[in-house]
Amino acid sequence: MILSLYGAWQKNCGGAFPPKFKAPRQVWVSNMDTVEEEKLGLIDLHPEVFAERPRVDIIHENVRWQQLYRHVSYANTKMRYEVRGGGKKPRQQKGSGRSRHGSIRSPIWRGGGIVHGPRSPTPYFYMLGFNTRLNGLRSTLSAKLAQDDLHIVDSLDIPTDDPSYLEKLVEERGWGPAVLFVDDNDIMPLNITAASDSHGHYNLMPVYGLNVYSMLKHHTLVLTLAAVERLEERLLFHLNRNDAASAGQKYKLDSV
Amino acid sequence: MAGMGNRVLAGTDRALDLLRELPRLSLSNIRSNPKAFKRNKRGRGQHGGKKHGAGNKGSGQRQNFMRLGYETGNNPFYLRVPKEPYYKGHHLRREYPPISLMQLQTLIDTGRLDTSKPIDLSALCNTKLFQLSPLENQYGFQLTDEGLDNFKGRVNIEVQYASEQVISAIERNGGVITTAFYDAPSLIAMRDPMKFFASGNPIPKRQMPPENAVEYYTDPKNRGYLADPDLIALERFKLAQKYGYELPDLKKDPELLPMMLERKDPRQIFFGLNPGWLVNLKDKKIFEPEDEQLLEYFRS
Repeated sequence: MILSLYGAWQKNCGGAFPPKFKAPRQVWVSNMDTVEEEKLGLIDLHPEVFAERPRVDIIHENVRWQQLYRHVSYANTKMRYEVRGGGKKPRQQKGSGRSRHGSIRSPIWRGGGIVHGPRSPTPYFYMLGFNTRLNGLRSTLSAKLAQDDLHIVDSLDIPTDDPSYLEKLVEERGWGPAVLFVDDNDIMPLNITAASDSHGHYNLMPVYGLNVYSMLKHHTLVLTLAAVERLEERLLFHLNRNDAASAGQKYKLDSV
Repeated sequence: MAGMGNRVLAGTDRALDLLRELPRLSLSNIRSNPKAFKRNKRGRGQHGGKKHGAGNKGSGQRQNFMRLGYETGNNPFYLRVPKEPYYKGHHLRREYPPISLMQLQTLIDTGRLDTSKPIDLSALCNTKLFQLSPLENQYGFQLTDEGLDNFKGRVNIEVQYASEQVISAIERNGGVITTAFYDAPSLIAMRDPMKFFASGNPIPKRQMPPENAVEYYTDPKNRGYLADPDLIALERFKLAQKYGYELPDLKKDPELLPMMLERKDPRQIFFGLNPGWLVNLKDKKIFEPEDEQLLEYFRS
């Protein structure tokens, strides 16, 4: 974390994968101690993570996947053998002058079974491609940064556990109504946990839970320095790994 | 970004700059590319209904299809054409997927292969650029002569087949080439070493080549791993004479010499690891067998 004003922290932008073709994006680091914003310094954000082309179609695919992969349709219709009755031939084959039938629950009858209707439970599970999911995160982070909806803070430690403190802070800084706070650790400081608990629109999330849907749902994204470092490290690792193909393959038991 | 002098924005920068003027990206203003998702084809209505794509009468509409290859009575193609012996035994023949010298040079230039260490099948598979499927009769890689003229790498490489020109190209640059045989279980272990170590099986001992391959791997002309090293040295000299280049003296580079001379034992699969050893990646330990019978088996 190169803090140029108060800087004692050092971070090589990208670490193992320094930026080669694009310039790093510089962002202010703020504090959470006071309601008014105090800028603590500047850091460089890796362009491959935060300045990637914002592919709206990939973002859409990610959102669709997130909503659909867990969806199970419980709609159900009965087939002809499930509808009550219909075992007996209604009338004899010949002689009545009327059309011939074998069952009163055949699909052509009123009240009969449905042939190609919904069958409960129908899962809609599918896995989106590895690179599509990776690029979805990159595109969304880049879009958030470009639209000034991304803020970096040093840590999520606030002085009180009063819910109104968070309200005033968000109001004062012009952060959107809904804010997503992201930290590296999944056990957050007590004060911010208590303060945001009563608000449904202030949410805390560890880095491993970061997803496209949540980032779009919340107006503002607030990352801690630790979260930025972890996020960049993970995304750059996955971007530069040479066995991504095997990561996207189906799991096969006892495969050779 | 906009208004910062005369800089012309293009590509990604332009897209990000455009976003600044547009409304906030949210769940309600994103959409997919046109034709990304197909409409569900319903068998109803004007275009999906009536005959439902099954045509008129016949086995098609009645869903009682003819068997594959049937030609409605006349002698079908698959019976008309007699068997020929061209492909007899093809399922038993060993395959060697090719790697060209040009590819090898590219890998060295881009840093995907480390020339300071010996290059064997594991190193080539670790680049994840080459797939090897022992279950489909693939027994390793062959080095082809495409890019022979421009090959400049100095490597200690071990492949499963290389022609005379390729051998000369490697040795001309001061490298060392060996041809070695690996049986299928050894190949499976070498292809993905991490996966093999994670399986918890002891390292198998490499089997000897089959009868029709023994001649190839014992011939010094092919730099076979079972050939006499002195004869191989003689053949190196002869090849240099034949192709008209001066054979580089490997002893001139004393730092690289031990690496260049590093070769595997005929029963060995991994450099530095013997057959019978069990590698524990998690605890970073290697276990050796102590039982006499096991030791004798793995040593033989």
